[in-house]
Amino acid sequence: MGVGPTVKKILNTYKGKIRLVIKNYPYKYRDYSHIAAEAALAARDQGKYWEMHDLLLEKSPKLDRADLIQYAQQLGLDVKKFTKCLDTMCHAGQIERDKKLAVDMDLYNTPTFFINGRKVIGERPFEYFKQIIDEELKNAKQ
Amino acid sequence: MPNNEQARSTSRKVREDRAEIKMKVRMIFSLRPLHLCTAPGFLIALLIFLFVPTLSVLAGDLEPITAVPVPADNPQTPEKIELGKKLFFDRRLSGDGTMSCVTCHDPEMAFTDGLAISLSYPTTKNWRNAPTLINVAFQKYLFHDGRARSLEEQVLFPMMSAFEMNRNLDFMEEVIRSVPEYVEEFKRVFGDGDTTRQRIAMAIAAFERTLISKNAPLDRYLRGDKTALSTVAKKGLEIFTGKGKCAECHYGVNLSDDKFYALYVPENPEQQEDPRIGATRRYVAKVYHYEDYRNLTEDPGRYLITKDKKDWKAFKTPTLREIAKTGPYMHNGMLKTLDEVIEFFDRGGGKGNTALKPLGLSEEEKRQLKVFLTEALTGEPIVIQYPKLP
Repeated sequence: MGVGPTVKKILNTYKGKIRLVIKNYPYKYRDYSHIAAEAALAARDQGKYWEMHDLLLEKSPKLDRADLIQYAQQLGLDVKKFTKCLDTMCHAGQIERDKKLAVDMDLYNTPTFFINGRKVIGERPFEYFKQIIDEELKNAKQ
Repeated sequence: MPNNEQARSTSRKVREDRAEIKMKVRMIFSLRPLHLCTAPGFLIALLIFLFVPTLSVLAGDLEPITAVPVPADNPQTPEKIELGKKLFFDRRLSGDGTMSCVTCHDPEMAFTDGLAISLSYPTTKNWRNAPTLINVAFQKYLFHDGRARSLEEQVLFPMMSAFEMNRNLDFMEEVIRSVPEYVEEFKRVFGDGDTTRQRIAMAIAAFERTLISKNAPLDRYLRGDKTALSTVAKKGLEIFTGKGKCAECHYGVNLSDDKFYALYVPENPEQQEDPRIGATRRYVAKVYHYEDYRNLTEDPGRYLITKDKKDWKAFKTPTLREIAKTGPYMHNGMLKTLDEVIEFFDRGGGKGNTALKPLGLSEEEKRQLKVFLTEALTGEPIVIQYPKLP
């Protein structure tokens, strides 16, 4: 499940105190990573980003077009709309901008987090994030 | 100047004092200060030792002062260290350009990555914890399983490892050769511009030999500064060298005996649950000619290297220098905190091990030991200026 459950736990624990911004950084040498990013954003358009995110991680590496459409069906999405978005790469502009941002910031590893500017690379336990977030919340109050 | 008789008498007194001091110090400490002095420092320290023996009681187990060990065939030069630093930070050393040595040995995390199981090449998973590089120059064996005997040998392993940097070394040499600034630097350092893997390793090893824990309170204490340790830390030191039995393996300059022990740290469940780690385990076992690699479900440790039964699940005694900053601990990161480490040793290690016995430390003694480990073994911050890469 990757770091998804930890991120959700963070969001629940710090409800109203923390804002999550997700940037896409599909791995350049994996042929299906771009289309998987498109699928996640197409699902977001229909309000099911996290559901698709978790499914993509669970099913990886079965992430070709047919698989993604099947997952959209599984999640009860409007498949016609989803497929059109996938085929036209309707979020390619956003994904490319995200990738450029990552390269400009000299980032190469996923997941990478920035918590008020503090960089954390890799999946880490909730307690690890908690310590940083608590420190940053404390700093923000001062 | 004393006359001959006085000199002989003084000399005999010094020898007696010295013998007594050394005996006491060995009994009390079994540790040595971290000596990083240059030749003039050695002379000064020696003079103090000879003529002010009372100071020696405070100075600990004084022995000939040693500098950082450097192999004769790879002398340190500022140019080589600088080249090594650049290569250490350079992602060209990985197959897909996403990994450098820094990825897992981050200067801001005491040259670890702070993870139980280290970061890995994209789409793969590592299977062990990234050890700190601080004081790596003092280690006789490198890696948790001790498969390398020199830094020059060690450096190339992660580069060619399929689950770390995944770089073909022949190709890496040509990639580095295609960068004119590097060719010029190789000329300056090695006499010509040949960017061989051996030279790349030599330069990185030279840089790594500069990553030294300096002026930790323990060093100051052993050199004679009684105030360097707090009262609690001093009690922790007594436990470290006494009831806690830590110093039976963690001694010397680097607080390690450079030996291997099977403490039976529990397997990391992540290693069992993640099929990618299973693939890594089987791959490494196959590379090391472990016959039944397909059915291997645990980490055999040094056995993979020696095929000696006594080395089954044995791992190297790590340095304890900078221990407060280098968690999670053990070869698979199963012990998250120093409290967990102390508990592990207090109960006599993992199930089935014969290397350790329960210690019976009180809660107060555990606390004192932790204070010693965190307070006494943390040196000055190692500040690394990030290099400008060509």
